[in-house]
Order: sequence, then structure tokens, then C-alpha cells
Amino acid sequence: MSRAGRLAALAAVVLVASAHIGSPDTYFEGSAGPYRLRVIVRSPGVVPGLAQITVRLLDEGRARTVSVLPVYWDPRTAAPPPPDTARIVSGDSSVYSAALWLMTGGSYSVQVTVAGPAGTGTAIVPVQAIATRRLELQKPLAVGLAAVGAFLFLGMLTIVRAAAREAVLPPGMEPDARRGVIGWVAAGLGGVLLLGAVWGGRGWWNAVDSGFSRQLYHPLASAAAVRLDGGRAVLRFSIVDSAWRQHRVTPLIPDHGHLVHLFLIRDGLDAFAHLHPVFVDSSDFDATLPPLPAGRYRVYADITRESGFAETLSDTITLASPAGAWRMSDPDDAWWMGNGQRATGNVDKLADGSRMTWDRSEAPLVAGQDAPLRFTVAAPGDRPTALEPYMGMAGHLMLTRDDGAVFVHLHPLGTISWAAQQTFLLRGPADTVFGTVGRRLTEMERRGAMTGESVGSTVSFPYAFPRPGKYRLWVQVQRAHRILTAAFDVEVQ
Amino acid sequence: MPSISAAASAPGVPAPRAAALPWYVPAVLVAATCAVVGVIWDISWHRTIGRDTFWTPAHLAIYASGIIAGLSCGWLVLKTTFAGSDAERAAGVRFWGFRGPLGAWLCIWGAMAMIVSAPFDNWWHNAYGLDVKVLSLPHLILALGFTGIQLGAVLMVAALQNRAGGEARYGRLLAYGIGILVLNVAILGFEQIGFSQNAHNALYYLVCAAIFPILLVAGARASSLRWPATTAAVVYVGVTLIMVWVLPLFPATPKLAPVYRPLTHMVPPPFPLLLIVPAVAVDLVMRRFGTGRDWRLSALVGVSFLAVLLVTQWFATIYLISPASESFLFGAQRWNYNSLPGDFEHQFWDIRSDPVTPLKLGFAALLAMTSSRVGLWLGNGLARVQR
Repeated sequence: MSRAGRLAALAAVVLVASAHIGSPDTYFEGSAGPYRLRVIVRSPGVVPGLAQITVRLLDEGRARTVSVLPVYWDPRTAAPPPPDTARIVSGDSSVYSAALWLMTGGSYSVQVTVAGPAGTGTAIVPVQAIATRRLELQKPLAVGLAAVGAFLFLGMLTIVRAAAREAVLPPGMEPDARRGVIGWVAAGLGGVLLLGAVWGGRGWWNAVDSGFSRQLYHPLASAAAVRLDGGRAVLRFSIVDSAWRQHRVTPLIPDHGHLVHLFLIRDGLDAFAHLHPVFVDSSDFDATLPPLPAGRYRVYADITRESGFAETLSDTITLASPAGAWRMSDPDDAWWMGNGQRATGNVDKLADGSRMTWDRSEAPLVAGQDAPLRFTVAAPGDRPTALEPYMGMAGHLMLTRDDGAVFVHLHPLGTISWAAQQTFLLRGPADTVFGTVGRRLTEMERRGAMTGESVGSTVSFPYAFPRPGKYRLWVQVQRAHRILTAAFDVEVQ
Repeated sequence: MPSISAAASAPGVPAPRAAALPWYVPAVLVAATCAVVGVIWDISWHRTIGRDTFWTPAHLAIYASGIIAGLSCGWLVLKTTFAGSDAERAAGVRFWGFRGPLGAWLCIWGAMAMIVSAPFDNWWHNAYGLDVKVLSLPHLILALGFTGIQLGAVLMVAALQNRAGGEARYGRLLAYGIGILVLNVAILGFEQIGFSQNAHNALYYLVCAAIFPILLVAGARASSLRWPATTAAVVYVGVTLIMVWVLPLFPATPKLAPVYRPLTHMVPPPFPLLLIVPAVAVDLVMRRFGTGRDWRLSALVGVSFLAVLLVTQWFATIYLISPASESFLFGAQRWNYNSLPGDFEHQFWDIRSDPVTPLKLGFAALLAMTSSRVGLWLGNGLARVQR
């Protein structure tokens, strides 16, 4: 994106988010064959648009070329165009940059290919092309356009008047009073016509603008409600969007073994739950609630569709009284309750007596810059320990801004959906029937692709906070078959 | 019609000498041509490669139109105003204290409109996405700009022709300018009349009836040539054919997904409409019935144009959509990289939803008559322009 384009994007009014809430950019950390890399894709906010991709090679000096290629998810896509070679960003030979042309709204796999002495490897980064913001016309540009427009308007009237007044007179002949009147009449008529054209142009612009606003991305419509069932509080989460119910979008696929990852965050951020509801039918999902305190909760549901499109649906519920006895719907469910105070340190004590430390310096966190989200767990007595994969990942990090304008669910892979990445690997050209890839993915998970080995005691997440504000982070890991949740607070500048 | 020598010898009339074509005439005609060539090139670029930057040669050709016209006409009015002879100043019109030919002011206006469209277009892309539609508000302002330049060029040549007593070379240049305008409107109607596959639906003839007679008739009325409308149509067909034959000589490959056709060279524009045939009819009717009864003439010329166009295009396009026409001469590799191959390539489009019926043809005839009448008014005005 050009500098002007970036400035324009900065001036944009962000209305909605992407797969996460209020965090439209994609962060990925992984490997392209033998090369470790970190990828950032800045969303253009419009479709068609140019996304800016940055590839940082984490093992310096080993690559010869880095190329990028966005491929639309639709299996009908024919031969892809040649990839673009990313250019080295000046001043840092390990960082490469290129523009991604995302021409169709929806799900893309961005193939990042690194070639070097160790061979060639490709990483798949799921990216979503969605219109997320309506751009305001900046005042300097508006004033400039209006000034030139007025100049053109008056200039055209002058030309029309001159044409009627004197253009048909032989050279040297001065127009008489009658021609003077004709000139003014012509200018007047021309003015009326031009005003009509300007009015029509304004209407056209408004129509384009409102059409664009209507096409801005919105997550599938959803609804959450709580009921008592045998003394237990049960949350029903329903996808009520017509597009979903009429099967106009691709079906859900399991991500980390679950069709829906449900998060409840109490106003005040002092209670949090990460649940995995079981499906009642294709639109309704039930989860038994843990003994959360009464209050108003924001409910977020992370889903991934077979197209590789991952999104976060949201609603709110109010718990009238603390939820009673809990019989978890799924063994991966977990919840956390704080003491109402903001955490000030970088260490949080976990439920099993171990401690989690946020490895960060005193340097302030700045929006838009890489955030050092690296956490280490030590067993009681500061003994080293090993974490186990929790739903196939070394850890899960959920963060939200105080006002709920940002909600993100991160993994060590970054912001991407693991399942979305898998769909691009599993999909073949003949997979045009809905459900085929989802079944293949489910079978793969059943065979144990999600089970992992011990993952050490440290977990990190590639990310940059999208905007300043006060944030709370919940980091979830698993140790000794127990899911542990730590909470941290941070103010981002 | 007065002779050249008689006009040139009239006192106080600074008619140009036959030997000296004013320097700004080729400049503005080149500018007018640059724009249409650039637009055809740009359409081919999008159909072949898919993505672009501001600095593609096609864009540069379009903006060269504004730069050439703006600089040459800007210099012309400054020179006329501050260093021109009395005769040169007398041959101009006044504009905010400056003097210059009427057409030069329109060229300057067009160049400014083109320039202002660029930042507006950039903002539009950032706000609403890269070019989703050819016809967007900033593109319309750009098109108004280069159309203003083309009209300005026509006005400048018309004034020279009229002052030179109808000198044939100005008549030819005037017809050339009209031909560029015909090409211009044909490009604007690309979606409706660009493809031969549209030639059996009613909208095709409605659009043709609305946009072509106005220019062909205006040119026929204003130019001193014997076959002005035909000459203009030859220019339209000729420039388009040159693009049909030249563009595929340039290697190019798609750079955007999805690529359904592995193109290797630039896609040519569709084969032009055979406008020469109805233009001959326009010239013949105009010459047969002359001036004086323009309402009757507009009815005759409008109906003649439509009737000849209908017969010509109806049958010519049967060949042009056939596989046999897929050759270098008529355009071989003719579909976008992202258009899924299918039987639509050899079918007439929208013939069920929008068939050609007597009622629609009647409406098209009314449009052609109206367009011709407006063309006569414009032509009469062009024939009278002196400055």
C-alpha cells in the first residue's frame, strides 16, 4: 500500500473486525520447510484491496528468495498466477515485504515460499479478505477537491458563455448587447445543467457509499440464552443468521477438536470461561456453565467454516444468580475468577500452586508493534516443569480491551485458525461438495493429529495490539492433565 | 462556399496559410488520440494481466492526453494573451482576462478535470476497493476530462476550417476528431455494444441508436469533406483494428487469480462495429437532402442509420462470434484470463430476455432520430464556430 493509502487507512473508522473482534490483521509464526518465520498481513479493510504482507525470517541470513501467493479457497480456482517475489525491507535483511492482491471477498490461503541453501519450503497462512471499515474523506482532500471542483464549475460556465457570446463571431468582431444576453442565458442554462450533474453525482456517490456500508463484513448473526436444566445453568448458543440456516455458507469444521470455542467474559473482566458446547443441531449448541458469579457477560464464539473462513460471533447474557453445580460439557472446558483487582505484576499464581511469569521488560507496549507475549511456567518451588498440549497447542491466549472493542484468541501459531490452515492442505480440486473437507479433517483429528508431545515450560504468541488501551490477557496451559489459567493486565500505548 | 483564397484575403480575418498547419492542431489531436488508445490499452491490461499500478503504460498514455493538451493549450493562451498579434487575439474568446481559441479553453478544462480525477480515484480505491466497476465517479470525471480535450480539439479544427473557407485538410482533421469521439463513446458503451455476442439483443441497437448518430451527423454537417461521417467511421474502425492487431503482439501473462485461461499475450479489443456501412448511408442521405429541413432530415438519417446498422451487424456478427473468426485478423485470444471457458463464447447473449422486437426497434428508431436531430444542432454550431 502506498503511503497515501496507509494514511488513509489510519484515518479510517473501524466498524467491525475480522475473525477476531477489533483486530483485523493476521499474525502467524511457523515454518516454511526448514525456515522459521513470522508473517504479518495487514488488512486493507476493503475488497478488492491490497494487503501488505511482511515476512520475518527468524533464522537470519539463510534465505535466497521469499515469494508470496494468495489463493482463493474455492476449489474451482484454476491455475494460480505466478507468485510475487517479496522485497527485502531496507535496513533489515531478514524482513521481506510484498503486496497481496485480494480481489474477492472471503477466505484465502497465502502461500509463503522460502528458498535458500537448505532447500525450499512453503507455509500456508489463512487470510480473510473482508471489508471492515468505511473511510472518511479527509478534510484537506475534501477542501482541495471542492476548490478544484468549484474552479471547474465556474470554468465550464465561462466556456459556455464564451461559446454562445463570441465563438461564432468572425475574429475581431465585438459581441453586441444581444449576444451578451445570449451568453448569459447560455451560462445560466449551463449552470442549471451542471448543478443537476453535480446533484446527480452526489446521489451516485451516496448510493455507492451506502451500498459499500451494507456490504461491510458482519459476523453471522447469533444469540445466546441461559436456562436451568436440572438445577444446572445451561447456555444455548445459536447461529440464527439466515445465510447459515439456508446453507448459503459452508459448514463448520472442528478447530482443535471443537466446532465452537465459547468464551464468557464478565463485565469488569473478573470472571472468564472457555467452554466447548456440544451441538444440539446444526445451529444450536449447549454448554453447561461453571459456577460463574451473577452479572452481565459478553459471549464470544469462535468458529471456522469449511472454506477456511474463521470468525467470532458475539452476544451478551445476564446471569441472575451464580451458576450452580457444574458438570462440564467437555473435558477441555475451563474457567477462571479474579478478585476484582487489576493485576499489576508479571507473575500470576496458578490453581495448582505453580506460577506463570510474563517474560517482558519494563518497556511499554505500543499498539502496532510486536508485543513480547512470552510466558514461562514454573512448578511450586520454582522447579522447572513441562507443559502438555492443551487442545493440541502449547497454550491459548485470550485478550480483550476493557471496553470489549478488541477480543482475540491467540495460539503460538498466531491469530490464524489451525483448522483453516488444514483445510487448505486437505482440499483437492474435486472437493466441491460441502462437508467433504470437514469430514476429512474430523477423521484426521480422530487419528490423533492433534495430540502433541510435551511442549516445554515456555509458550509465546506472535501478535501486536491493534490499538491503545487497557487490556486483560488470560493465558491457558495444561500441566499434569490440569488446565490452568493465568491473568495479566497491561496498558498499551 | 467561399474559396480559401477569398476567405484568407478578407480584411481582419487571420486565416492560416494553406502551407502552415498551426502547431497546436497536431498536439491536441495527438492528445485526443492518446486518451482513447490508452483506454483501450488499459482495458486490455485488465483483461490480460489483471492488476496494475498508476504507472502502467496504458495509464501514462491516458494521462499524456491531459499533459499534452494542458501544456500546449496553456502555452497557446498565454502566448495569445501576452505575446500574440492582434489577429491572433481577435481569433480567440475571452476567459477571465485571458484570450485563446474556444477549443483551447475546453482542452485546458479537460486537462484539469483529468488531473483532479487522479487523487480522487486513489481515495476511491482506498475507500471502496480497487476498480470493481469501470464506470465509477472518479473515472467519469477522468472520462469527462479527456472527452473535453477531444471536443476542444474538434472545436479548434472546426474554427480553423470555417475560417479557411472549408479547406479540405481541416475537413479531414475535423472528421478525424469526430472519429476519435465515436471511438470514445463506443468504449463507454463497451459492456452493451463491445462484444459481437450482444448484436442480437435489443439493448445493443438502442445504445447504438443513441450514441452514434449524434456524432456522425454532427461531423457530416460540420466537416467540409464529401464523406465526413464515413471518414469518421473509418477512423473508429481503423484505430480499433490497429489495436486489435498490435496489442496481441505484446507478451503478457495474468497476475491475478483465478486464471482460467493461460494467456500469453495481451487480449485485443473486440472487433469493431462495421460502422462504415451505416456511415455511408448517413453521408448519402445528408448529401441528398442537404440543409434547410433538419427535422425531416433527422428522421430520415436516423432511420437509415438504424436500418443499415441492423442489417450489417446482425449478419456480420454471426461470423464474428463463430470459432472460424478466431484468427489474428479478427482477434484470436479474445477472452479475459478470469473468464471461465464456456459455450457463451459462440452464442448471442440475452436474446431471450431482451429480444429484438418491432416495438423495440421502433423505440431505437426514435432514439436514432433524436440523436440525429441533436447531431444536426451540434453540427450547425460547429459549422459556425469561428474562434
